[in-house]
Amino acid sequence: MSPTSDGMLDVRVEGLRKSFGTHEVLKGIDLAIDRGEVVVLFGRSGSGKSTLLRCINFLEEPTEGTIEVAGIRVEGGGFRTRAKRDRIRQLRIRTGMVFQDFNLFSHRTALENVIEGPVVVLGKPRRAAEASGRELLSMVGLPEKADHYPIQLSGGQQQRVAIARALAMDPAVMLFDEPTSALDPELIGEVLGVMRRLATELRMTMLVVSHEMGFAREVASRMAFVHDGQIIEEGPPEQVLKDAKRPETRRFLEAVL
Amino acid sequence: MSKGRSAALAALALLLATVLVACGGDDNGGGDLLAAIEDKEALTVSTDPAYPPQSKLNEETGEYEGFDIDVATEIAERLGVEVAWEAPAWDTIIAGNWNGRWDVSVGSMTITPERAEVLHFTPPYYYTPAAFAVHEDNSTITDANGLAGKKIGVCGGCTYDLYLQNKLEIARDESAEPEKVESAVANPKIRTYDTDSTAIQDLGLGDGRRLDAVISALPTLQAAIKAGSPIKIVGEPLYYEPLSVAVDRKSELDPTSLVDRLSEIVDEMHEDGTLSELSQKWYATDLTVAETSS
Amino acid sequence: MTIGSESGGERVAPPLPPAGEKRSRREGLELYSARIPFTLKLAAVWATILGLLVVLFAAADFDTAWMREHTGFIAKGITWTIVIAVLAIILACLLALLGALGRLSHNAIAVGLTGFYTSFFRGTPLIVQLFLIYLALPQIGLALGDPWADLLTLDVLTAGVLALALNYGAYMTEIFRAGIQSVGHGQSEAAEALGMTYSQKMRRVVLPQALRVIIPPTGNEFIAMMKDTALVSFLGTSIEQMEIFRRAQLVGKADFRNLEALLVAALMYWGLTTIFQYFQLRLERRLSKAYVRGTAGVAVAGQRVPTGPSQT
Repeated sequence: MSPTSDGMLDVRVEGLRKSFGTHEVLKGIDLAIDRGEVVVLFGRSGSGKSTLLRCINFLEEPTEGTIEVAGIRVEGGGFRTRAKRDRIRQLRIRTGMVFQDFNLFSHRTALENVIEGPVVVLGKPRRAAEASGRELLSMVGLPEKADHYPIQLSGGQQQRVAIARALAMDPAVMLFDEPTSALDPELIGEVLGVMRRLATELRMTMLVVSHEMGFAREVASRMAFVHDGQIIEEGPPEQVLKDAKRPETRRFLEAVL
Repeated sequence: MSKGRSAALAALALLLATVLVACGGDDNGGGDLLAAIEDKEALTVSTDPAYPPQSKLNEETGEYEGFDIDVATEIAERLGVEVAWEAPAWDTIIAGNWNGRWDVSVGSMTITPERAEVLHFTPPYYYTPAAFAVHEDNSTITDANGLAGKKIGVCGGCTYDLYLQNKLEIARDESAEPEKVESAVANPKIRTYDTDSTAIQDLGLGDGRRLDAVISALPTLQAAIKAGSPIKIVGEPLYYEPLSVAVDRKSELDPTSLVDRLSEIVDEMHEDGTLSELSQKWYATDLTVAETSS
Repeated sequence: MTIGSESGGERVAPPLPPAGEKRSRREGLELYSARIPFTLKLAAVWATILGLLVVLFAAADFDTAWMREHTGFIAKGITWTIVIAVLAIILACLLALLGALGRLSHNAIAVGLTGFYTSFFRGTPLIVQLFLIYLALPQIGLALGDPWADLLTLDVLTAGVLALALNYGAYMTEIFRAGIQSVGHGQSEAAEALGMTYSQKMRRVVLPQALRVIIPPTGNEFIAMMKDTALVSFLGTSIEQMEIFRRAQLVGKADFRNLEALLVAALMYWGLTTIFQYFQLRLERRLSKAYVRGTAGVAVAGQRVPTGPSQT
């Protein structure tokens, strides 16, 4: 749960381009995230922010560019040879992802969801994984739901279990793809609360795609505005939110805030 | 990609495994069919158990019984081996290419040139008249002339079928020249069936309803009548056919010695009266003596 | 007081002629019928149909005594009918799984092989396939020489099970494919994001959930397969392995009672399919119950998360 020793915990995105067919969504992204940083990506829908996130753990194959996470470097584009597939898997093991639609394994209980990764992917013994799993569920505030199935949980509860599931893999960086966008308003708070604690207590490196500006203001170390496939503005939250340099950024913030 | 490749490999492996699990074939006892039979101590005989009184299934005992069954059992005994049965479809038997699934056919088979191309025959073990029957309500058909233009049911691929097509040639034995058996029926409307029994039952539906007549072996027609079929046999037998034991020419193992030995046995069984006895048992008459065709 | 009014004008009170009486009687009948529960009326319809059939059969002079006598013998085939169907459906499921994975693959060999397989076995009649496997394979075996000659000369039961499995597997490939695809894409992504391999993902996440969707139609396939086992008899089943139809055929022909024998066989198949369909229905109900929210604190197996927007 705590970050491992320093050195190779950066996330580095170099020259990332992504096209779907003829439509170019990402037009050259460079991004670097240091250990412990919380970077919030925001922008209009269709701007490419989710695509950017999904390229980092290769749920989308970049058309061009290089991704590096915790020292594992993978080139985008081209055919996925067996060697490349293995490296992508290594990279994914070091990244934890939280989806907008939670994507909990619906045929498994909360606890089983949390231990699935460690047991199946990391080969951890089941007993140990369960113990850690229960701790994680406590940490996200759901110790009593260990034997519940996703369908018995509210959206906010499911998302918190999803966070625990990703944390169970002891990742170097957590990726959040609009984690609260599919939640009823009254449930958003509990999820953001967990995320806040991840940042402040665990000092987890986080890359978050979100519209939750309040959260960004409080927790982000950096905010990046994605516009039309490029990061056109970056900086500490106070600076970006109060004093955006680019007109596109201002326009967007005016509409949102 | 590993997933696709392993799927393809698994599919292939599965197919191979299935095939491997399949029943194995014969033990090759030295390239000779007779030797192989003696080795496995069993003669596998094909029979069509839907053809009483030559062959039928006795429900109570769960075994086949009939004239052909008894003859085959006797032959196996004289070869000094057990008898085992296979029951494939008739057209599979007459087509040859048995692929070693069975060794001989004792199934009241007539020697025709087409069959002689794919099968070896022993000398005939009995002779049967081919007769015709009409529905018992019929009063107009009394002889072969009366069959002209009528709907006649026969077992498909049987000599009765060929006869009506005017293509029947019968050889007295394997070495003799086949003789044409001229059909005495003009313009028949031929209806073929999987076996005689089905044809007979269709005739029983009513005079002219589906069929006007059926041509089959006389004993079979008589068995049907005894079982209650509403038919009657009319006229004289159309022809007599010699019926022999058959062996696959295309057998992987050399069948020559088997055919020779079988022929010997058949001759012995004629001479010592066994065949006549069996004939009396099943047909109440001795059909094992050659009759001239009418 | 006058009932009715000026001639040609409107009537005030309803008339009392016989027509009115009839109308009310029919109405009365309709109202009465509406009060009778539907299932009762349904049972009456069935009873009438069956009754009519019994009368018809009695009149047609079927040898019912013969039928009664030989029912036991034909019934012994039930075991083999079920055995053949079970063996074949298991093999068919394996083939369908491989077929589905192949259809979904990106590998040209897999897609090509499975495409060929499904096209051929869905595009040719089952009876033709049966004979091909039984008669043609040995020929190929002979041409290839030992050991193929022995390996490819299958006995009737093996050929029958294999043909049924290949045939049904080709159709069931669609069922399995649809089942696999019905598992939300998000499930697959979550598994991949955790670092699972393709095989782990399929085994742990996708297939277990796909099974929920696959099982009901597979049950229906099994019921259909039980009927198709009858075709195996055309290869000439041996005495020890005779299923329902073979037994019916043999005794029917031996005693010249085809029709009676086939009727008995038909009734047996009907009974079998009805019984299995009842269990199938229960199975479907049980599986669909899993999609309903259980009460808090009660774990109900394998429930699906409705994708998308919020829940309370």
